[in-house]
Amino acid sequence: MDVSNILASHAAKFQSVTVEKETPLDVDTGFLTVTDLTPIDEDSYKSNLEEYLQVTARDGIQALVAALYGLPTQPSPDGPLAQLPPPTTQLPRAKPLPKPKPPTKWERFAAAKGIQKRVREKKVWDEERQEWVNRWGRDGKNKEKEEQWIHEVKADAPVDHDPVKAARDVRTSRVAKNERQRLQNHARAQTATGGRDERKKDIERTLATTRISTASMGRFDKKLDGEKKLRGVKRKFEATETSVEQEKQASLAVLSKLDGDVKRVRKEKGAGDDVLNVRKAIRNVSKGRGGVALAREANKKGARGKRGGKR
Amino acid sequence: MLRTVKPRNARSKRALEAREAKEVEDVRTAIFVKGTHTGEILNGVMKELMALKRPDAISFSKKNTVHPFEDASSLEFWAGKNDASMFLVGQSTKKRPAGLIIARTFDSRLLDMCELGVDNFVSMAEFKTPKSTPGHKPMMHFASELFDTHPRFIQVKSLLMDFFNGEVIDSICLPGLEHVISVSIAPAPSLQTANPILGDSQEEDVKNLPKIHIRTYTVKLLPSGTRVPRVELTEMGPFLDLSLRRHQAADPEMWKAAMRRPKLKKQDLEKGLGKKKKNLEVDEMGDLRGRVHIAKQDLNKLQTRKMKGLKGMPVEQDGSSEESEQEDDPRQKKRKRD
Repeated sequence: MDVSNILASHAAKFQSVTVEKETPLDVDTGFLTVTDLTPIDEDSYKSNLEEYLQVTARDGIQALVAALYGLPTQPSPDGPLAQLPPPTTQLPRAKPLPKPKPPTKWERFAAAKGIQKRVREKKVWDEERQEWVNRWGRDGKNKEKEEQWIHEVKADAPVDHDPVKAARDVRTSRVAKNERQRLQNHARAQTATGGRDERKKDIERTLATTRISTASMGRFDKKLDGEKKLRGVKRKFEATETSVEQEKQASLAVLSKLDGDVKRVRKEKGAGDDVLNVRKAIRNVSKGRGGVALAREANKKGARGKRGGKR
Repeated sequence: MLRTVKPRNARSKRALEAREAKEVEDVRTAIFVKGTHTGEILNGVMKELMALKRPDAISFSKKNTVHPFEDASSLEFWAGKNDASMFLVGQSTKKRPAGLIIARTFDSRLLDMCELGVDNFVSMAEFKTPKSTPGHKPMMHFASELFDTHPRFIQVKSLLMDFFNGEVIDSICLPGLEHVISVSIAPAPSLQTANPILGDSQEEDVKNLPKIHIRTYTVKLLPSGTRVPRVELTEMGPFLDLSLRRHQAADPEMWKAAMRRPKLKKQDLEKGLGKKKKNLEVDEMGDLRGRVHIAKQDLNKLQTRKMKGLKGMPVEQDGSSEESEQEDDPRQKKRKRD
């Protein structure tokens, strides 16, 4: 059997896709780039520029395509996906390298125990309603206990036991704990990286606020050793003898502050201040909606009563 | 300069985190700025380049008085504000007609830039051929040995690669390779590698430097007999003839900081990215095949007694072996008694 012509035809097929150059082409498949290092042929350049450029480009791209088709591929609906290797040419970065963050307390524990991170889905299956509901967020299942319209209460519960409040407290305490732990992680990361000055300023600021957070605004508290003297507001006393003009101005200013203030007017409305805390009472009765809402309700009921309900 | 924004809700926090530095970076966003006077040619060039660079391109609509070679502070401000790291400034003056400045930033500071003069420009509209889909990654072809030897051309190659093709991607859809940007240099017999001794002759060098031709073609993959298709090119897109003008090389320390690579992680090393992996090849179907080399076995030292499969027929030999064992045993027992 004469196989030579079959081999010849096979070789001929390959010829159309192989490219032969004096210097091998530098193919960077990672960046889909090919560099042809042969010096430019002056004669063909001068004779027909565009054609020469197109021919060289075609050869270069043929080599690049051959290299790309030689990479391992994965099938996909749009066609074969070639897995590109990392590029060989180095290009400068746009931003400096990120500094590695130290692992948090949980991350260290999980790494030691070998716990894999699992991301939970946002939707969870609700058997009662037979549908997928949010785990948190809008109409979330985590607020189910608070939003129930009926609550079972134990027989020995105290009289003012509010099950809604109890459920809400559980949730808010969890949120507060999470926030506290996040701040602790952040502080630990800062000390690890050495942001000492920032943390020192933070701590001093917090300390200053706590020192004036007492009933007497920090004025009569015992000072510990090593605590710096607080910078307080200096009271400015006017001179004993001022001119008539200045006195007149001062008195007029006081008078202008006394009348025409809406807040002051509202405060004066509450008559029985010593027995009843009016603000709290309004809040309780209106269930947090306020005096205006109460008035609106009262008017509505009155109007309905007058008209006699539905006609 | 720019006030640090504190995020007030989850969405702004996510946007801020997206702007932070990552190990593997995103593609560089380019800002197209027009100087005080740009001619018709420059307007066309910038429009076409923006079409090739979309969607990672921002175009400033107003004309700005910006002279990058004198004062780069406005570029740095825009880079920080827009989270962009490449600039294309178009400025046409009497002394330097149709000048295009390509600039790169690192860490919101100017890294390097190069001014190119547009000598000849043919827009995409003048070629009545089908164009490639916008957003597809172009293939690039550089044709000249000067791209490896002459420092100015190395800078130009690096800038153009970063501009068109800077993103590192894992995989690419092979039928999606649609267009090629081919950059070639005119032959210049007088030019050899830049001699650092004659520093003053930079002026002459600038005029002697050969021109750059940028051509864009669409790729047609024709079936050949083999798996690799045959490539045919058709002209498409902008044709640019550029000449090199001024440039500013990168500060070596900043360049070193910009070229720092993240340390190879353990999984990457195992995959063999650190060194070339041997005994792996891709066969015709595109699957990865490996070769396993086993040492030559010395058949004389083979332990056949431990190979149950070689024990042969079970029936006859069992009977004979049993008898022989039975014979052996009383003999042994006799011996023991003795």
